[in-house]
Amino acid sequence: MEQHVNPIIDAVLGYIAGFIQYLAGLLGPYLPEAHWAAYLAFALYVTAIILGGLLAILARNLVRAMMGLVLTFLGVAGMYLLLASPFLAFMQLLIYVGAICVLVFFAIMLTHNSSEGEESKLPPLSALGYGLLSLIAPLAVAGPLIILHGSKLKSKVPVDTPTGDLGKGLLTEYVLPFELISIVLLVAMAGAVFLAFRGFAPLKGDKE
Amino acid sequence: MELSLLYFVKILVAVLAIIALMVGNAIVMVYVERKAAGFIQRRPGPYEVGPWGTLQAIVDSMKLLAKQIFVPANADYILFFLAPILAFFPVLLLFLPIPFGPYLTSWETPDGIILILAFAGFGVLSNLLGGWASNNKYGVLGAARAVSQSIAYEIPLILALLAVIYQAGTLNLSEIVEAQGSWPWQWNLVCQPLAFFIYLVSLVAETNRAPFDLPEAESELTAGFHTEYSGMGFALFFLAEYANMLLVSFVCATFFLGGYKGPILDGFWWTFIKAYLVMFFIVWIRWTFPRVRFDQLLNINWKWLLPLSLLNLWVTAIVIKVIG
Repeated sequence: MEQHVNPIIDAVLGYIAGFIQYLAGLLGPYLPEAHWAAYLAFALYVTAIILGGLLAILARNLVRAMMGLVLTFLGVAGMYLLLASPFLAFMQLLIYVGAICVLVFFAIMLTHNSSEGEESKLPPLSALGYGLLSLIAPLAVAGPLIILHGSKLKSKVPVDTPTGDLGKGLLTEYVLPFELISIVLLVAMAGAVFLAFRGFAPLKGDKE
Repeated sequence: MELSLLYFVKILVAVLAIIALMVGNAIVMVYVERKAAGFIQRRPGPYEVGPWGTLQAIVDSMKLLAKQIFVPANADYILFFLAPILAFFPVLLLFLPIPFGPYLTSWETPDGIILILAFAGFGVLSNLLGGWASNNKYGVLGAARAVSQSIAYEIPLILALLAVIYQAGTLNLSEIVEAQGSWPWQWNLVCQPLAFFIYLVSLVAETNRAPFDLPEAESELTAGFHTEYSGMGFALFFLAEYANMLLVSFVCATFFLGGYKGPILDGFWWTFIKAYLVMFFIVWIRWTFPRVRFDQLLNINWKWLLPLSLLNLWVTAIVIKVIG
C-alpha cells in the first residue's frame, strides 16, 4: 500500500505540531492542568472577546459595532461556562444579548437608518487620549485587588455551585451589594428620564 | 464533567435529529396550516399536487431552493445574510434541554429553562438585523414592532413559567415533568390555570403569529422585517418561525401539560401529542381572530398580562409558604 502524502503539507504539519509542543513545554509549568478541550475553548472565547471588542470600537457603522458587542458578550458567556457557572453564562446571554443589545439596537434604529452613520468619522486624537486615560480608573481599582487577592484562590479548578445556593447567597449574605447594584440601575433610569423629560407642556416646535 | 467521545456523539446525534424534526415539522405544519385555514374559511386549501394536496409543501420548498437570492440596493451585505443564519441556528440549541421522553433528553442540564430563554433572545436580534439591513422602510417598521412586542411579551411569559418553577423548585425541565403526575388533574394546568393562560397568550405574541403578527402584518407592511428576503434567506426565517412555534409548544407541554407523562403509558408519544395539540391551537386561533392594533397589543400586555402574572406569582409564593 502506497500512501500519497504531500511532503510539503507533512512538513508544515510536523512543524506546527513541534511548535505547539515547544510552546507547551515553555509555558507548561505556569499553566494550570486542564483538559486540552478547555484550552481550545479558552482560546476560542478569548478570540471572540478581543475580535468583538475591536469590531465594536473600530466599526464605522453603529449596527456592526453592536454586533461586535454581541460577539464579545458571547465570548464572556463562554468564559462563565469555563468557570463552571452555566447559570451566569445563560443569564449573561439573556440579559445582555436578549435585552440590552436589542434595546440599544432599537435606539439606533429610532435615530437613523442609514448604513453610513453619524459616527463614520474617526474621533480627534484628543478624544482617543481621554479614552486611553479612562483605562486608568478600572486599572487603579482592579489592579491592587488582583495583586492583593489574586493568589489566594483555594482551588485551581472552578467549583460548580448549584443555582439554589446562588439564590440563597444573593438573598442572605450578599443582599446589600445586590441591592446596591439595583440602586445603580435605578439612578441610571431616573437620570435618563430626567434628561429626556420635556415636561407635560408641548414645546414651541410641536404641533397640536 | 467527564469529556468523552460518547458524550459528543450523543450531542451530535441529537442535533441531527433536531434538524430533521425542524424540517419535517415545517413541511407537515405548512400543509396542516393551509388545510386548516381552508376548512375554517370554507375553501378547499391545496388539493392539486399529490393526493389531497399533500405534496404541496414539498413543491413549495423546492421552489424556495431554486429561487434567486436578491439583495436590495444599499443593503448592509454582511448583516443581511447574517440575520437569517442567526434566526435559524440558535433554535437548534433551544431543543437540547427539552425532555421528549423519560430518557430522551439531548442534554440534561440543571438550568434548562434559562438556556432556552437565553438563546431565544437571538430570534429577536435576527428579526431586528434583517429588518434594518434590508434598507427598506417596511423592514425597519417591522423590526421596530418586533422588538417592542418581543421585549414586552417576554416578561409575562417568563413570570408565568416562574410560577411553575416556584412550585417545582427547579429549573431542570425533566424534574418539572417529574413533579407532575400521569393523569390530567395532576398536571400544572390545573393548579396554575392563570399562568397557563398567560403563557398561551404570550407564546402566540412571542412567535409573531396572528392575531399578534404585527411585525409582518401583510396588509400594512408587505411582509415586515423579511420583506426583502427571497429564496433560502426567506426559507431560513420561515423554518425558524415554525421551529420556534414547535419549541414553545414543547415548553408548554413540559411545564403545564405533564410532558411525557400521560394516562396508561408514559413515553415520548405523549410529549408529541400534547405539543402538536398546542401547535394546532396556535394555527386555529390564527385563522379565527382578526389582527389586533398595535396599541391594543401593548395594552393587553402592560395593563393586563403583566399585573396578572405578577399577582399570580405573588399568590403562588404565598400559597407555597403557607402549605409547605
